[in-house]
Amino acid sequence: MSRTLIAAHGLAAGYAPDAPVLTGVDFEVRAGERVAVLGPNGGGKTTLLRTLSGDLRPLAGTLRVEGRIAVVPQTERSRLDFPVSALDVALMGSLSTLPWWRRPGRSVRRRAREALAAVGLSDHADRTFGDLSGGQRQRVLVARALVQDAPVLLLDEPYVGLDAPSAAQLDGLLARLASDGRALLIATHDVEQARGWERVLCLNRRQIAFGSPGEALTAQVLKATYGAELVEVAGGGLLVPPHHHHDHD
Amino acid sequence: MMRISLMLGPFDLPYVQRALVEIALLSAGASVLGTWVVLRGLSFYAHATATATFPGLVLAAGLGFSPLLGAAATAGALALGVAALGDRRDAGRDTATALVLVAALAAGVVLASDVFHSQGSIESLLFGSLLTIDLADQAAAAAVGALALILGAVLGARWLAVGFDPAAARALGVRSPLFDAALLALVAAMAVVTVQAVGALLAGALLVVPAATTRLLVDRVGRWQLATAALALAEGAVGLWLAVELNAPPGATIAVLSAAVFAAVAIARTVADARPGRLENAPAGTAAP
Repeated sequence: MSRTLIAAHGLAAGYAPDAPVLTGVDFEVRAGERVAVLGPNGGGKTTLLRTLSGDLRPLAGTLRVEGRIAVVPQTERSRLDFPVSALDVALMGSLSTLPWWRRPGRSVRRRAREALAAVGLSDHADRTFGDLSGGQRQRVLVARALVQDAPVLLLDEPYVGLDAPSAAQLDGLLARLASDGRALLIATHDVEQARGWERVLCLNRRQIAFGSPGEALTAQVLKATYGAELVEVAGGGLLVPPHHHHDHD
Repeated sequence: MMRISLMLGPFDLPYVQRALVEIALLSAGASVLGTWVVLRGLSFYAHATATATFPGLVLAAGLGFSPLLGAAATAGALALGVAALGDRRDAGRDTATALVLVAALAAGVVLASDVFHSQGSIESLLFGSLLTIDLADQAAAAAVGALALILGAVLGARWLAVGFDPAAARALGVRSPLFDAALLALVAAMAVVTVQAVGALLAGALLVVPAATTRLLVDRVGRWQLATAALALAEGAVGLWLAVELNAPPGATIAVLSAAVFAAVAIARTVADARPGRLENAPAGTAAP
């Protein structure tokens, strides 16, 4: 069995000790798994990712993470007007492996170019980050994670704002990263997409369910996760309405 | 030939030459550091630390100790206060900085008028005395400038990564508070040496405005820094020449010239961006569809 890269037990997370945003989080993620982190706006998805990345301290419970963690943020948040090329952004991934007084050298630059090639952007290395399309920016940030050489990737709503071809391209890339033995936690609103991945983690201020999509994504779980946001459609199906983007910072 | 040598006449004067050397040193140091100031949103902090030198300068003149020491003491106090507020990005930090800025100006004026009765020096402390620069001022500008270039070369990649994506900074291993503290301390030190040339209220003319101007035209950090040093040197030299020719205060002349160039470039940039088909080359925030 593949090794466990993240283990959370009785985890509570939030910004103030007396007011946790998220409680009762219990899950384990193994190498090679894509985990959909589902939940409504304000349900705690971003808070969980920020806690896993070390940006927030756990308020209660235990959290064990094996190896480095790479963060792929929402592209809207990354500064579009920054004077950096795609290669510059990929190079930022090397800083976690270099001592503070070292600048990225020739071998690191080669690794950054290889990472851009791996996400299909070798031709765009010298383009300004802010000039790239949404899907390309998302893949540059994945390249940064590859340079970071992290076994765990946290992706915050990576599909928001992507057109269908870009989303399909990202799908293929994430499948490849998982089959390479990485663990991916992907905050998303797309329940149908999550059915194709290995695990789902449903959050609504607390953990509602964790498991394989087949077991976990029952009608009760979806109702408890999305509550009033859920729409019942003709034929008895349940629909999560399209996501309205909110910045949680 | 005759006409050129007449035009360059002011630069034959030794005190104008000393001023020009000071401008060159600050262009390489303060203006290049200014790119980090602009990129990391520290323009107001830079202005505030420069202004905070004012009461220190009044004290130094009144009690007869080194103006650099007096300026460093009060600017350092403000820098420590801002660093203690940490990375609070809310309005609280800016409000606190603004309060200290006002208090520093008021304290300086009260000290000058009621304690040391040195009102006459207020103008040169606030708006600079580029034509009375001495070797000690130049040495200080050279030392802090060299430090800024070295720290920028070593820590620049980290300053860039944190500014680009603060949320991922910890995961990237660049969240150490020391990196940002070094930048804050460096900006304060640079404000202190810049104040000797262009005064407590006009330090931004060298520390912020050239970098903000070239940012509109250049979209890579390295090129931006080179362009900023070149522009600051050109603006400083032309401003100095104009000041001598027109018998105007040099710090204020350089500041007015820099602001005018910024306005002209900003307007040109806006017009160029508005023309269809030109979006491809725009550096700032104009994402392709």
